[in-house]
Amino acid sequence: MTRADYLVLAGALLLLPWLYASFWHRGGAGEEVRIVGSDGKETIASLSEDRELRVQGPLGTSVIEIRDGKARFVSSPCHGQHCVHAGWLHLGGEFTACLPNRISLAVVGRELRYDTINF
Amino acid sequence: MQDDTGLRTLTFTATREDYRIAWLAALAITIHIAESMLPSPLPRIKPGLANVVTIAALLLYGWRAALWVSLLRVLVGSILIGTFLTPTFVLSLAGAVAAIAVIGLGCLLPGRGLGPIGYSLLASMAHIAAQFYVAYRLFIPHDALFGLLPVLMTAAVCFGVASGLLVQAMMKHLNRDASPSDPAT
Repeated sequence: MTRADYLVLAGALLLLPWLYASFWHRGGAGEEVRIVGSDGKETIASLSEDRELRVQGPLGTSVIEIRDGKARFVSSPCHGQHCVHAGWLHLGGEFTACLPNRISLAVVGRELRYDTINF
Repeated sequence: MQDDTGLRTLTFTATREDYRIAWLAALAITIHIAESMLPSPLPRIKPGLANVVTIAALLLYGWRAALWVSLLRVLVGSILIGTFLTPTFVLSLAGAVAAIAVIGLGCLLPGRGLGPIGYSLLASMAHIAAQFYVAYRLFIPHDALFGLLPVLMTAAVCFGVASGLLVQAMMKHLNRDASPSDPAT
C-alpha cells in the first residue's frame, strides 16, 4: 500500500463515524401539532405548552391533549376509536386521524416531513 | 468504398487495444450479471466485484481502458439483465461515471500515487455517493433516505477494501507492478 492509499483509508474510516453521528442521531422530536378539522380549518399548537383542545366534528367533540411535548386523542365520539388507540405522538411526521369525525392530528418538526411515501 | 448497389461500406479494423478492452469488458459483464443473481442481504448493497476488473484494467492499461470497461459493463450488463433505461440503470450509470471520474482524479496524484486498495476504495465510495445523490434527487426525495447513507457507506468501504485486496492479489499473480505505468493514457 502506498502512502496515498493509507490516506484514503484513514479518510474513509474518519468519514464513517461522522456519517453515523450526523444522520443517525437527529433529534426527531416534533415542535408543534397541526390539527385539521372537518371544516378544513387548520389549528397549529405548540408542543411545549400543555393544553387540551376540543375540536368540533360532524359526530361531536373530539378532545386532544398536549402534554410533555406529546399529543394524543383523549376521546372522540367515533365507533372505531383508532385515533385514541394511536396513543401519544411526538416525532415530527407522526400522524393520526379520526376519520368518522373528520379530524386529523399531525406532529410537525422543524421542517415539514412526509408521513408516508410510496414509489 | 463503393459496392455495386451504391452503398458505402465501412470497414473497421480492431486494434490490439480494442480486443483487450472487449475481453476485459466481457469479463466485467459476466461478473456483473452473476452478481446480480446472487441474493443480497440488503437491497441495493452488493459487493461490486465487477469493479475488480475496472481497477485491474486501470492498473494494467491506464485510465482510458478502465473508462471503456466500466461504461461497457453498465450498458451491456443492463441490456442483458433487462434493466436498460430503468431507474436501476440510471443509478448504475451514475455510480460508474462518478467512480471513473474519481479514479481519473486519483491518477493525477504525484509521486507513487494510489495503489489498488486506494483506487478501489475511492471508486466504491464515489459510486455509492453518486447513486445516493441521484436516488435522492430523482427517485426518493425523502429525508429519511439519509438514514441509509451511513450503512451504505460502511458497505462501500468494506467492499472497496475487499475488492482492492483482490486486485492486489491479482496483480501479484500477474507478476506486474501494482502502480500504473502510464496513468494519464
